[in-house]
Amino acid sequence: MQLPAVAEQAHIEDLRLGDVPMQQEVELVSIDLPVELAEPLLERGVLPGCRICPVQSSPGGDPVVSVDGSLLALRRETADCLCVRLVSPFQDVG
Amino acid sequence: MIALVGPPNSGKTTLFNRLTGLRQKVANYPGVTVEQHLGMVNLYDGRQASLVDLPGVHGFSARTLDERVTRDVLEGKIEGMRSPDALILIVDVTRLEAQLMLVEPVLEMDLPTLLVLNMVDELEARGGSIDQEVLAERLGVDVVRTSARTGIGVEEVRAYLHKVACGDTSVEHIERELSNLAGSRALPVIDAFAARRRLVRSVVQDAGFASPRPSRLTEKLDSVFLHKVWGPTIFLAVVLLVFQSIFTWAVPLMDGIDWIVGTSGEWIAAALPDTWYRSLIVDGVWAGVGSVIIFLPQILVLFLFLGILEDSGYMARAAVIADRTMYRLGLQGRAFLPLLSGYACSVPAILAARTIEDERDRLATIFVTPFMTCSARLPVYAILIAAFIPNEPVLGPIMNQQAATLLGLYGLGVVAAIGTAFLLKRTLLKASPTSFLMELPPYRIPAPRTLLLRLLDRSKIFLRRAGRIIFAVAIVLWVLTQFPRAQGGPPDIEQSALGTIGHVIEPVIEPLGFDWRIGIGIVTSLAAREVIVGTLGTIYGVEEADEESLALQEILRRDIEPGAAIGLLVFFAFALQCMSTVAVMRRETAGWKWPALQFFYMLLLGYLGAFISFRIF
Repeated sequence: MQLPAVAEQAHIEDLRLGDVPMQQEVELVSIDLPVELAEPLLERGVLPGCRICPVQSSPGGDPVVSVDGSLLALRRETADCLCVRLVSPFQDVG
Repeated sequence: MIALVGPPNSGKTTLFNRLTGLRQKVANYPGVTVEQHLGMVNLYDGRQASLVDLPGVHGFSARTLDERVTRDVLEGKIEGMRSPDALILIVDVTRLEAQLMLVEPVLEMDLPTLLVLNMVDELEARGGSIDQEVLAERLGVDVVRTSARTGIGVEEVRAYLHKVACGDTSVEHIERELSNLAGSRALPVIDAFAARRRLVRSVVQDAGFASPRPSRLTEKLDSVFLHKVWGPTIFLAVVLLVFQSIFTWAVPLMDGIDWIVGTSGEWIAAALPDTWYRSLIVDGVWAGVGSVIIFLPQILVLFLFLGILEDSGYMARAAVIADRTMYRLGLQGRAFLPLLSGYACSVPAILAARTIEDERDRLATIFVTPFMTCSARLPVYAILIAAFIPNEPVLGPIMNQQAATLLGLYGLGVVAAIGTAFLLKRTLLKASPTSFLMELPPYRIPAPRTLLLRLLDRSKIFLRRAGRIIFAVAIVLWVLTQFPRAQGGPPDIEQSALGTIGHVIEPVIEPLGFDWRIGIGIVTSLAAREVIVGTLGTIYGVEEADEESLALQEILRRDIEPGAAIGLLVFFAFALQCMSTVAVMRRETAGWKWPALQFFYMLLLGYLGAFISFRIF
């Protein structure tokens, strides 16, 4: 079913990396963090447009994600500041 | 000179060791807080090239100490060190895209550069591939494929170094669209990184990079090591194993060193004429330096374990598991490694905190590290506990009072560290929420060469740092016991300059139940905690006083009230009686502010703790 554009927009903005289920690949939309906290992410290639996939959860409930073949462990507070959107697994990467 | 740069866990140090072998040293430069690992590489015509191994970094934004040093070396800003003639950028090719984020800032240095694609055997084993020629063409640099672990391609790196030495390299300006985009610093930071990333993407795609399949081994191991139940269980088991190794496996080695120092001291004494300098050499210098060397086995065993944990990839997982708890205490997961190391010795532990990106987190970590019960406290604890605490069971047969006291002293250190970290992060080091980001490298079998060379390196640093201070203090102490001369010989200890110092500070420590003798012990143990055992032995005239000396125990029991003895234990649990730590703190914080604050804070805590213990017991 096609959702109204406005609702879809709201839905997109609501989705944070912290809410994404395991093994669900998403695309990073924006980083809602101050520059000094965002920079370590940017340096490791975590930039808007990149594909992220949560692959593991630490015993403390923090996510481990796969980005560009690298595994990154984040705090869930950080993951909750990363806005993402769902992508179809068959969509062309580019 | 050629500089080796690369992200952490790219195999940088393994390649460095392959190229230089034992022809390497740790160099210190004025004003630089991080040691430079310098090595000589043999070239084909008998010449040598010097290679510097820089700390692993993700960028040159100078956010961390490591990044600052790397940038300063590359820009030739280090006094007494030439700026590099060429660079070697090494990356883990299995994670090429993320690791190549460094390529743009490195190319901006405008130096001849060799790009080393390391771990190429792993890439191929997992079905990945890359066209290095296209990569070389697009980036305008030389590219080689290596496996530093097995030695594949290392000769090609050496050939490149030879080329540099012959002046046979130049900087090509082929791909510089990046400079136009990212070079202008006016752009918001995110755009600069986006430009970097676009370059990496396009280059990597042109070079036909096929990502390797995810490592099945890593997936499987992570599902165990990061498991809700198994993860923390294995974590605790690993911590216990490290402890066990420090306290049991290192002991035979330590006994051996103790024996060697003692025996060789006797030989030296026998070989020298009976004059004033014999006592200086044997009792002062030899015994003093020996008291430090004895900790070397513990440090080696600890670093062997930590090295295996780090190189295998487990340490990154341990940091992730520890992060939640550490975060609540005001620290972060990366503080786990320095704090664990602190149980052997604070000096290497404080150095290990350099990987902490957030400066406030790093300061808080190294501020509380000396509260960890280091091995130098053990001889002090051992003799006082043996002398004053009855060996009677508590909690049934599981534990006796002596063991419980020792455990209590460990606990005291942990509580003090937690309380202090909590306090610091709410006052002096108050910060907006910090982040924690940890890259989890694939699990790998550690290379024995790298482990051994690092052990060698660590022990050199430890011996040099600690050795210098102990050497100086041993001489000063010896001089203080020799003057003023009485009838042409050394005076009684109470009449000596050292005894006078003890009497001067007696009023200050009287409320703690300590007399001038303990006062002297506290003063001498400022050099290193365990020195107090030997000092008390000297003062009470007990020959060969060590922590097992029954004669010394007997005298202490007679001379010190039990409350004061417990006070002394608490004092040593808290006070920063270690000049090596103060010295390393000064270097690591580039000033006296933090070490001074730390010293007086811990002294105050020790004083109050001892005062309260004396009143209670």
